[in-house]
Amino acid sequence: MLWKSTGARLLMAAFLVLVTGVSLANEMAEPDPAKSQYWPTIRQMMFGDREILDGKDVIHVYLSTRAADAASVPVSIKGQIDQTPDHYIKNIYLIVERNPSPAAGIFHFTPESGRAQLETRLRFEDYSFVRAIAEMNDGTLYMASRWVKAAGGCSAPGGRFRIPENLIGQMKFKFMDAMLEYGKPILVQLMIRHPNESALAMDFDGDKVPRFVRSVKVTYDGKLVMSGEVDFSISDNPSFRFFFRPEKEGVLDAVVEDTYDRVYHHRLTVSEGVPLPGG
Amino acid sequence: MLGTFGYLVSLALAAFVWVAPAGATPPDLDALKVEEIAPGNYVHFGRIEPLSHANLGDQANIGFIVGDRCVAVIDTGGSYAVGAALRKAIRQVTDKPVCYVIITHFHPDHFFGAAALVGPGVRIITHTDYRRWIAERGRFYLKALHRDLGDLAEGSEVVEPTEVVSDRKTIDIGGRTLTLQAWPAAHTTNDLTVLDERTGTLWLGDLLFVDHTPVIDGSVLGFLDVLGRLGEMRVAHYVPGHGRSELPWPKVLEPERDYLDVIVRETRAALKNRKTLEQAVDSVGLSQRANWVNFDEFHRRNVTEAYTELEWE
Repeated sequence: MLWKSTGARLLMAAFLVLVTGVSLANEMAEPDPAKSQYWPTIRQMMFGDREILDGKDVIHVYLSTRAADAASVPVSIKGQIDQTPDHYIKNIYLIVERNPSPAAGIFHFTPESGRAQLETRLRFEDYSFVRAIAEMNDGTLYMASRWVKAAGGCSAPGGRFRIPENLIGQMKFKFMDAMLEYGKPILVQLMIRHPNESALAMDFDGDKVPRFVRSVKVTYDGKLVMSGEVDFSISDNPSFRFFFRPEKEGVLDAVVEDTYDRVYHHRLTVSEGVPLPGG
Repeated sequence: MLGTFGYLVSLALAAFVWVAPAGATPPDLDALKVEEIAPGNYVHFGRIEPLSHANLGDQANIGFIVGDRCVAVIDTGGSYAVGAALRKAIRQVTDKPVCYVIITHFHPDHFFGAAALVGPGVRIITHTDYRRWIAERGRFYLKALHRDLGDLAEGSEVVEPTEVVSDRKTIDIGGRTLTLQAWPAAHTTNDLTVLDERTGTLWLGDLLFVDHTPVIDGSVLGFLDVLGRLGEMRVAHYVPGHGRSELPWPKVLEPERDYLDVIVRETRAALKNRKTLEQAVDSVGLSQRANWVNFDEFHRRNVTEAYTELEWE
């Protein structure tokens, strides 16, 4: 029934043409993001004719241009504005242009997020642009792009381990700071033990559903901090790092759902003066 | 909603199998230079350098063992052309047929030449987890090979094993027994070693790197465990996956073990000090640079692998 989507069919058709047409392209130098052959199709499908402005004052993408490992490329998306009730980044669309599933994730933020920032790890099927599009609360769109050459050799986006069934869904919150301070935004990392199976693998023939995390939602004291719909362009054992702004003692609560409709929960109470879990 | 949308697209594309451009003929190389390092054990030492149009994937140490009845090939080079050049080298040494192609693990510089060596009656043996890696990575590797070599990759293929080893298996090539040992996750999750019992020659695949920066693509802790077990074996001659050495067994394992030890120690320290993956990649193990070739190509990747393994300890 999912196949009824005309959009998906169109995008698929477009991709078949593109993938076939440029498979011999040999990009040694960093190409111009405006001249990408892939982007117009993805852009049209996701944003239609809406204007997308240069994101240099609103959103930045940080990563190593020569990525160490195609299976796990750390990428940071950093909002450049204060999240205020009047003016804030509401959604961030993260796109790996040349992955067969280009939309790696759509993340939602609020004024309570403190800052719209997200760090995660991505799989790369090929040398590709990564694009982050910020959608403001008034609907304006801003984009930042970076070119990534995931290393050659044996480096591959496929998984290494089989994760034992009883460990799938295990989660941890980790902090870079030892303590928090009320009223001050602080970075927290959510780690999820999960194979995040890729439909790119050859043994998924379309009948078998690959098992991957499809949504993540984190609240603090019942208020949304960050949520996202994600895909298997995210590396196995998905990791997300983002800000929240605690005003008093409260519970960080993560709810994660995968394509097998399994729902996993993890909670951590944090307060000022109590050491935060780290490494 | 768009999450679902992306997933739809991916399912559509999973059905699309990338097809190599056809029409060219594989480059015709001279027979590979091989050395008889122990009676009946012939090794071609590959070049310690990244894949290029000049080397066509002649990077790994590959070779063959000649029995009274037939020949067992151990690893096949990184492209059809290299596999075909190995076949010529075999023909210069013996007229006996190839009966086994043993692939020590699923990395492109070891298996892509197999298509030139297989045929009717040739049994292809791998570790049992090799098949899962074909599914996970086969398409990606083939595409990357064509991206990097263009027409020169012609003929290179991912071959399926005809039989797999999950623990230990012996094969007989006529007056010679070869013992194949499947190891738990170490360099990869599908490492297979071959011991020629007659001469005590151990073919290690990439469980042993000499000079070439060791590569972690299975488990850094598992790699150290396996090195410990290998060190207890009685070995008269050894064949590393890359590089060569005059050091005696098991001393030859030490530089690699020291490198992995440093990575584990410093990555654990970085995790304890709340360093991010990026920070760890930029700091861990840099003291080792002078000891290894191709360090910049592989080291940061190794730290990524170690970090993503050890962060769950």
